[in-house]
Amino acid sequence: MSRKFLALILILLLSLCVAGLSSAQDGPVRVAIILPSSTTDLSWSQALYDAAVAVQTEMGGEEAVEIAVSENTWDVTAAADAMRGYAEEGYNIVIAHGTQYGSSLFELASEFPDTSFAWGTSSDAGMDAGLTNVFAYDVRAQQGGYINGCMAGLLTESGVIGVVGPVPAGDAILYNNGFEQGVNACNPAAEVLVAYTGSFGDTALAAETANTQIAAGADVLTGSAQQVPGAIDAIEAAGGYWFSTDVDQAPNWPETVVASMAYDFSGVIEDIIAKRASGVNGGTAYELNLEDGVTMVYNEALEGVPAEVWEAGRQAEADIRSGVVYPLAVLPEEPFRIAIVMPSATTDLAWSQAGYDALVEIQQQLGGEDAVEIAYTEGMFDVTAAAEALRGYAEDGYDLVIAHGTQYGTSLFELAPDYPETAFAWGTATDTGVDQGLTNIYAYEAGAEQGGYVNGVMAAMLSEAGTIGIVGPVPAGDALLYINGFQQGVLATNPDANILLAYTGSFGDTALAAETANTQISAGADVLTGSAQQVPGAIDAVQAVGGYWFGTQSDQSGNWPETVVASQVYNWTPVVGSMIENVLKGTLGGEAFNLTLNNGGLEIVYGGVEVPQEIIDAANAAIAGIQSGEIVVQQELPEA
Amino acid sequence: MTGSSMTLDQILVEALALMFLYSTPYLFAALGEVFAQRSGVLNLGVEGIMLMGAFSGIYVISSKGLGQEPMVGLLVAMLVGGLMGLAMAVVSVTFKAEQGISGIGFTLFGLGLSSLLFKSLAGGVITAQGEGFQAVTIPILSDLPVIGKIFFQQNVLVYVAFALVPISVWILNRTTWGLQIRAVGQNPAAADAMGVNVDRVRYSTVILGGVLAGIAGASLSIAVTPIFQENMTAGRGFIAVALVYFGGWSPWRVMAGALLFAIANNLQIWAQILDVQIVGQSIPPNLLIMAPYILTIAVLVFARQRKRLEPAALTKPFMRGEN
Repeated sequence: MSRKFLALILILLLSLCVAGLSSAQDGPVRVAIILPSSTTDLSWSQALYDAAVAVQTEMGGEEAVEIAVSENTWDVTAAADAMRGYAEEGYNIVIAHGTQYGSSLFELASEFPDTSFAWGTSSDAGMDAGLTNVFAYDVRAQQGGYINGCMAGLLTESGVIGVVGPVPAGDAILYNNGFEQGVNACNPAAEVLVAYTGSFGDTALAAETANTQIAAGADVLTGSAQQVPGAIDAIEAAGGYWFSTDVDQAPNWPETVVASMAYDFSGVIEDIIAKRASGVNGGTAYELNLEDGVTMVYNEALEGVPAEVWEAGRQAEADIRSGVVYPLAVLPEEPFRIAIVMPSATTDLAWSQAGYDALVEIQQQLGGEDAVEIAYTEGMFDVTAAAEALRGYAEDGYDLVIAHGTQYGTSLFELAPDYPETAFAWGTATDTGVDQGLTNIYAYEAGAEQGGYVNGVMAAMLSEAGTIGIVGPVPAGDALLYINGFQQGVLATNPDANILLAYTGSFGDTALAAETANTQISAGADVLTGSAQQVPGAIDAVQAVGGYWFGTQSDQSGNWPETVVASQVYNWTPVVGSMIENVLKGTLGGEAFNLTLNNGGLEIVYGGVEVPQEIIDAANAAIAGIQSGEIVVQQELPEA
Repeated sequence: MTGSSMTLDQILVEALALMFLYSTPYLFAALGEVFAQRSGVLNLGVEGIMLMGAFSGIYVISSKGLGQEPMVGLLVAMLVGGLMGLAMAVVSVTFKAEQGISGIGFTLFGLGLSSLLFKSLAGGVITAQGEGFQAVTIPILSDLPVIGKIFFQQNVLVYVAFALVPISVWILNRTTWGLQIRAVGQNPAAADAMGVNVDRVRYSTVILGGVLAGIAGASLSIAVTPIFQENMTAGRGFIAVALVYFGGWSPWRVMAGALLFAIANNLQIWAQILDVQIVGQSIPPNLLIMAPYILTIAVLVFARQRKRLEPAALTKPFMRGEN
């Protein structure tokens, strides 16, 4: 009896050893996924599931990566149960694929510190909550939405476009917001009919919604979630077009789907697995965007779509990638009120116009005057008067008050504490007042030296005399940066060039600028540049002698197409867009923005002059060099 | 961007036409439920039966499935619905299981089985555009202004659904079978004493309810929205059951309820797409989405309840000698 008992214990011990050994071996990475809808939803859930399967295949099949799925877990409580179950069963990575799962995920994460948890859409990796085992992933669905919207706006013949949404939340609302902005930007006359079904999977209701929109005249539709097959079928029956999101839906409806924004989560999953392998369980917030993880798929086999629509889509994609266009994640529910105080006129072809144009552009993108209200005070060279105007706007309850000049800084810093609910912005500047405890000020500046360098390269090649004039206002702010960059560009191209630099001591003295330019021309200059709203006088003088001009701040070629070779154009639209987005999300300040060639804030725009190809090539090389960091343009000139 | 260029009467014509189309699935399911409930059986399995009807119907007709005629699809959906009705009858009439619970069970069963079949047989979205019942344009009548669009450009199942309303009334009130249904629903013991086979009558109504729920599902997948996705009925079966209470077990009032719910839902979609504003504010979409349900509840609460038709033996299994 006792021998049998001993044998039993021995066997038990042995099996325990074996079990221990096998668990010590490297088993597969065990990934559990909680999905709000099904793995075949042609949408949000399928995008993640497909990515997980792709990673599994790539890493060597089920022996390398084990995948468990809970689908259709829309219910948050059930999802929490599922997550706990997976964590207890020893899954290494638990991915909760929905914003709604966040709070239960955070609770579980502190209970199971060895398990990695991931969730999205979110940018909160739980670091603030003291968690080290949470990953978050966000998608900039508004980017693809914008592209689709732009194309839809150009494609619609009836001028009516329908959006079949599931619920106004998650990536669907981001997508829809971007879509509306794209339509607004490319065809402001088009009407967007938005309707939510209140469901993710109610295919019939999506079809009814689509049919209702079709009855209201819509010939182009978009929409998201697993319900959309109903809507796509409806628009297909009506002979219209559909734009997709989340996954490429063209294979199912090749005659109807024009373009799709498709997510690829595999990079995120791979990185989480890699991080765990190196002992890091969490702490990263990923973002899927057009650069990484979001792909636009154009169904160019589709007949009947004009070439301009495809071009517009690709252009919009390029513009978003370069940062020239910034689709906002949120749209204002009631008119967003912006006030701007400027030193010169909205038509100064320079500093003030660049700022004002950005406001008008973002207004159109967001849906016109119903969406964004713009108030401005121009010609405020008097700082005291400007301070009064700023206070007046704050008093009137404007959401964002912009002091568009370095000289307004002091008054702004006095004003801001009195109106803690108002967001303020000023530039060019880098100081958001955080050191003084202020939280409602944004600062912005332009890396004007970058475009200055590019202009300088071209000017040096274009000048036959080798003598180049610069008409500066005062040696400060973005004018000084531009002038410094310009000189570096000239000297890098032609070290023997003769640079004639003069400041007028004024921003708006056009006559003085003309006189300065004429003086430089008399001194042999055949190519000139200059800054501030005074420059029209100088450009006129250059035109009179048949010379060339390089501009900055705004595109100055309009009035002098034969004289202005190129302009460095400030594109404040992405900055203004970011500020509006932050204010709508409740952050009123604390961030400093900078326009660069990299983020699309600075652009070189050519005028009507026929420029030799070698000069354009040199300019492009300079741009590429600055973007890659090969060419470093100093903000200050080295002491000679 | 607000406001479409459509005039209010144009919108109303569109909305009314869509109302008849989208009330059709409710009407089939609710009429079937009227029969079951009038005989004393609450069938909460309608949702699941509709799902099975929707899947089998489209699977039969779709080129991705069997590629048959729409009528064949409809017949298969009826057969599937009838079989599920039979199963429900076995559970609730013969085995006298608690009706509410077993109905929920059938709903979950239908949801699970239709999803399983959908995934294993079809693998992904099935569409049947052009393969299902098409809108029939009735000559001359369809050219009439306003009513032509609303009444005479619908698919055949819409006409059938509305024709079934007077037929149901006639069956319930003018036929022997109808008398038996009402009798076993009101007082099964008395009916039994009169020689009516209570169980057989209830079997017949629950199976008929199943057949109609099967048609309801098929009307969704092969006529109204020619497509199938998992759980595509999305609660319509339960709305149909609610409509039976709403309509006080009268087919006419059930029809009124189905139309009211359909028009309310369609108008809320219009309100969303036209961005209807109240004192300068857009109405939050969530509020609009809720509106048809709130309206239905409000009507249920405030409308004068007609208890006259409520089957006294509803949800009560019949056991000879105990009732």
